[in-house]
Amino acid sequence: MPEFGQFALRLGLLLSAYAILVDTIGRRWQRRELLASGRNATVGCLLCLTAACVALEILLARSDFTVQYVAENTSRALPFAYKLTALWAGAAGSLLLWLWLQTGFVVLAFARSDRDSERFCATARAAANLVAVFFFLVLIFDKDPFSLSVTTPRDGAGLNPLLQHSAMVLHPPALFLGYAAFAIPYAWVFAALRRDGAGEPPIFFPLARRGALFAWMFLTVGIALGAWWAYEELGWGGYWAWDPVENASLIPWLTATALLHCARTFRVGTKTALWFMVLALVTFSLCIFGTFLTRYGLVSSVHAFPEPGLGILFLVLLVVIWVVGGPLIVLGHLRPSTKAQTQGPGLRFVFWNNWLMVFLAFVVLVGTLFPFFSGLVSSQKITLKSDYFTKITAPGGLILLLLLGACPHLMRHGLGRSWRTLGAIVTAVAALAIWVLAHHLAIAYLVACAFVAINLVADFIQRHKRRPASDEATPGRASLRWYGARIVHLGVLLAFVGIAGSGGFDLEKQVALKPGERTQVGNFELVYDGLDAQHGANFTAVKADVSVYRGQTCIAKLRPAIAFYAQADKRTSEVDVRRTLAGDLYLALTEADSTTKLINLTIFLKPLINWIWIGSGLMVLGTALVLAPGLGRSRNISQGNGQ
Amino acid sequence: MNAKTVVKLAIGILVIGGGISYFMYQAMQSSWAYYYSVDDFSAAGTASQGQSFRLAGRVKAGSVERDLQNLTLRFTLAGAQAQLPVQYKGVTPDNFTEDREVVVEGRLAATGVFQADTLMTRCESKYQAKVK
Repeated sequence: MPEFGQFALRLGLLLSAYAILVDTIGRRWQRRELLASGRNATVGCLLCLTAACVALEILLARSDFTVQYVAENTSRALPFAYKLTALWAGAAGSLLLWLWLQTGFVVLAFARSDRDSERFCATARAAANLVAVFFFLVLIFDKDPFSLSVTTPRDGAGLNPLLQHSAMVLHPPALFLGYAAFAIPYAWVFAALRRDGAGEPPIFFPLARRGALFAWMFLTVGIALGAWWAYEELGWGGYWAWDPVENASLIPWLTATALLHCARTFRVGTKTALWFMVLALVTFSLCIFGTFLTRYGLVSSVHAFPEPGLGILFLVLLVVIWVVGGPLIVLGHLRPSTKAQTQGPGLRFVFWNNWLMVFLAFVVLVGTLFPFFSGLVSSQKITLKSDYFTKITAPGGLILLLLLGACPHLMRHGLGRSWRTLGAIVTAVAALAIWVLAHHLAIAYLVACAFVAINLVADFIQRHKRRPASDEATPGRASLRWYGARIVHLGVLLAFVGIAGSGGFDLEKQVALKPGERTQVGNFELVYDGLDAQHGANFTAVKADVSVYRGQTCIAKLRPAIAFYAQADKRTSEVDVRRTLAGDLYLALTEADSTTKLINLTIFLKPLINWIWIGSGLMVLGTALVLAPGLGRSRNISQGNGQ
Repeated sequence: MNAKTVVKLAIGILVIGGGISYFMYQAMQSSWAYYYSVDDFSAAGTASQGQSFRLAGRVKAGSVERDLQNLTLRFTLAGAQAQLPVQYKGVTPDNFTEDREVVVEGRLAATGVFQADTLMTRCESKYQAKVK
């Protein structure tokens, strides 16, 4: 079975390399049979990857520890479902999954045989297969999921108990779905740049846009699940630590957000088109770079020069993408457009948003790479503590909120003397004053959030008073899109409410308690009633009984625990949370002495934090609504620009 | 593009770029910490007191001492040769155990004990390569 998997990967490599060759030549010489062959080779590549994934799943399901990957990521006692999801528990398996998904998307989007589009699709396939070749090389020569164990262990190392959590099972594939789907706009850009005939609009733009939307949606799901898991499982009361792994997913999310706003206003031959193409390449590059960064320990290592080994192939791939793509974009933009297009003054607000997003992405990227850069210039590595990120992103987020409030309206109607322009200025001044004079950024955030909320309501009312004529042609579809976009904005707003509330008004307290003792946190009084032990299948847990009082009434009984896993010599803190929309009371048992019953309890008050999860949910729901209208519609007719 | 636009553009880029760079530099300066392994840190000597550091090392087996009454955790951070006593108050990460790679952030007190205000275990999640 491992040999079969290895064979499938090698065959896949050959097929994708062959597909690049015939697609490029076939396009240049205008040979349809070569293009057909390239199409078939790409489909064959997908079949190889499917076979490899299935082979790895079978090995995982059978607990075949002769294979190193199986031995490192599973054990006999592991529940069957976790054995299967171990496909993405390690680096090798996740790369395989990513490549499989990506090739799947490429086949869905670009395996067309009609005369009008086949040449366009050939270039897109070649661009995607270029990435595939590099992934295959890494999979075959460096992170081989099918490599054999040196000695076959009796049992595998198992899956870290911390990762045995439903959010953590779904988080990686959601991210990989996102990363893989960004290959669609990426490949589209190459095809659009290589088109013949200067004035002809690049076809399939809706495809690229939908690919980007789909990718953004899953990236959001992945990031939110990761944050939720950190909050639920790690027991430190936070959800985001500016860890390189987290940043690696946030950076492409930021540039992708800008990408979507360009897609909304895309017209051929304009500045938006240039932005869209650059951002599509940037976002996809950042996905690859983030994976390289985290998988090869470039940042985490103390050593100035960690040995990236064949991981360097990822860097080579990025260089190739930009050496080919960069000049194409420059040339394509310089080429005089047949129709000089103007898009109205409102468009600059889109660019403001773009610049802000790119700036935030840049700041996070610099901070993440800082230890690496410092290792290059001096023998001593310097890291930035996480407050570097908050210092810059906090005011950045405030500006983002102001743009979020004002821009959707200003984009259409320009910077007139409406109350919205005035409102934006007043809010900006007020927020700045609260921040600078009163040093309370969270309140400034909430003021800005209120401004956004008012604008959303006003948008809604205006739309229902007089519907613009342009919507009449396809009322249902346009309306779904409009509501989808507003729901995403509402989600962002609510997430910011949660971030500001939980970050600005939180309380943390650590106490040592004996049974019967009480402590006061905020409005709550906690009474420690006692400690009891519990024996599970593969763990022992101590649970503390804590009663929560507000005034004289007991409003909740919480039971935070520590679980000890005998086999893995691990302990995990099982937090208990009283959840309300107003905020969480979050208890983590940090230490417990089972003889004296003395416990150390960490108590967090996190006001409004649940709005982060609600907001993230709305962002996903809204994106799904924007995506929904095009389902089941033939993409062939969707030519040309914009909407 | 005429000369006037170029000048305008250049001034704009200078002002905005300069402002952003200054802003970022400020944020960086106040939050940077030198990243050492325990061995290098001990070799560098005591010139380092009072400054903020991030140290990587291993939790020495048998050295972990939990003082529940004072909510304090004490352990010895060990490298290949050097060892350093560490004191920490705060939430212990879940995967903190003996003989494990950890990273601490804090300052060296005059007593020679490293006062950590952050304690991180190397994130064991699937993304990390094994550090040799």
